[in-house]
Amino acid sequence: MAILEGRNLRKTYRLSRNNTVEALKGVEISIDKGEMVAIMGPSGSGKSTLMHILGLLHAPDPVSGNSLSDGPAPELRLAGENVAALSDNARTRIRARRMGFVFQDFNLVPTLTALENVLLACDYAGIKGKVAKDAAVEALGLVGLADRGGHKPSELSGGEQQRVAIARALVNKPEIILADEPTGNLDSDRSAEVLALFRQFNREHGQTIVLVTHDSEVGEACDRVIKMRDGRIRDAGQRAGTPVMAIPAVAVPA
Amino acid sequence: MRLLRDLGRRKLRSTLTITGIMIGIMALVVFGSMANKIDALVKGGSEYYKDKVTVSAKGGTMGLGGVLSTRMVDQVETLDGVDVALASTMMLLSDDASTVSMGVPPMIVGSIAGSDKGRETFKLNYSSGRALTPQDEGSNVVVVGSDLSKQLKAKLGGTVTLRGVPFQVVGILEPTLTAPDNEAMVPLAAAQQLFVKTLPNLVADKLNVNEIATGLVVYPKPGVDPQKVADEITAAVAGVTPMTGKDFDKQIGSATSVLNAILIGIGLISLLVGGLSVVNTMAMSVAERTREIGIKRAIGASRWRIRREIVVESSVIGLIGGLLGLALGFFITAMGNDAGRDAGTVLFDLTFGTALSSVAFATILGAIAGFIPAWHASRLDPVTALRYE
Repeated sequence: MAILEGRNLRKTYRLSRNNTVEALKGVEISIDKGEMVAIMGPSGSGKSTLMHILGLLHAPDPVSGNSLSDGPAPELRLAGENVAALSDNARTRIRARRMGFVFQDFNLVPTLTALENVLLACDYAGIKGKVAKDAAVEALGLVGLADRGGHKPSELSGGEQQRVAIARALVNKPEIILADEPTGNLDSDRSAEVLALFRQFNREHGQTIVLVTHDSEVGEACDRVIKMRDGRIRDAGQRAGTPVMAIPAVAVPA
Repeated sequence: MRLLRDLGRRKLRSTLTITGIMIGIMALVVFGSMANKIDALVKGGSEYYKDKVTVSAKGGTMGLGGVLSTRMVDQVETLDGVDVALASTMMLLSDDASTVSMGVPPMIVGSIAGSDKGRETFKLNYSSGRALTPQDEGSNVVVVGSDLSKQLKAKLGGTVTLRGVPFQVVGILEPTLTAPDNEAMVPLAAAQQLFVKTLPNLVADKLNVNEIATGLVVYPKPGVDPQKVADEITAAVAGVTPMTGKDFDKQIGSATSVLNAILIGIGLISLLVGGLSVVNTMAMSVAERTREIGIKRAIGASRWRIRREIVVESSVIGLIGGLLGLALGFFITAMGNDAGRDAGTVLFDLTFGTALSSVAFATILGAIAGFIPAWHASRLDPVTALRYE
């Protein structure tokens, strides 16, 4: 069953009056519940843009009426519900409660301790008090940092910071975790640790995980690799270890 | 806690901003207290002079100036609208010029107790001792006002020296916040004896000491307009200037309201400068935290949460500055009053209302100052903010 489904996803960035960049040129994507998927492609292929749209950080272009970039109306379904045209508040609420984010440069709040960083995600999801505290402690325990909760990010190594970020992404048990180059700033040992953590949550808790990466080792660790180039999906890949199933046809213009 | 840590992250800047607010609030507290004091003085005066006519020698005012005669009392009491008239003799406690400053200088006031025949409505309360009585005429006894009692170190039953003459203290007044606080009330005869000594011998020799008065207090019959009584007095008695409550309000009230406006204005301007520095601090702190705001937005903080965070932080800056400014203002007004009391001048009246509104004002100012940067922060695109270095 698809947890995340996109159709006709386009994104044009206007850099200046006469300079626009078409980052996504009509993408169709489907991610099943419990999948661990890598989105790969060279710089400028649109993988980060796709990630921002899947993560509801940006909305896809609506039907513009402009004949040049016009296409069918975009569709983005999260567990069946169309979330393509929600208000900022509604998208924010979904990000807080139903999604978890992990970034390349960890993006912890520098003034807060590891535990407080994790608690922040609970707070935004409307979970407070002892319930939040217990969940945050448990999440830090899951990433192996139970004893580091009182440390500030500056007192932690890069690998530890990324594990705090993963705990923050996990703490609300979101339906989906989106990770943008999560191993990009880590050496290979730390990368392996982080990947192992993702794999573990995916296996043990059926956590859906989408990783954007250009590291082929990360891709190999995933169930499926979606390859992008020039704002389109070139290869939607096949889920490894599962019987071949029908992948929605992907339009690849000539 | 988290918030204080955020403030502590930029110690120098937060300190400077808080100092700016502190100085503004301090100015508001100090000038506001001064305005309070002036207000109370004027209100007390206005209250006192309201229903009566005060007669002074021509060119004088409020019962001070040239010399009148107690015989005028009888003359005035025959006038149509007059109910009761009484003579009083007033003089400065000291001729030393340094005691002449803002507010009411210490005065010696003499009149026969009870000569108002119960007409005086201005209420005096005694913190210790008793009021003067008609039987005190002929003895050197004194009722001392609240501020003056501190200046003279007057103790009930002890003696104080007024213009070189020892007086026994029989009563001490509670604060009235207006003229009586700085008065020494003595029997009329005693005041006449003191007054005659202030005059050059040539003048003094020609006067009958028992008839000396510097002013008359005239109570109109019930329902009679004081202005009408004043006109009657002007027509009937030569060489005097009557003053009504309206005259007092016109002369003193309008002058002090301008002064008050200036004082409060100075306080507000200093606060405005403080407020702008909060805007600056918060705008810089938002710029500095662009990335952090991006992180928070990405992981699910609503625009409203981001705004709230920044407005609360700037309100706390305002609150801290306000509390410190109040403490400093309290310290300055207390010191000023202690120092001023020895010179007979109590300049400040820091009321609870002034204290509370100053701190509330600082907090609200902080909140308003934070609102513009907060709005800006909440409009940031999370993805762009995340990439911000």
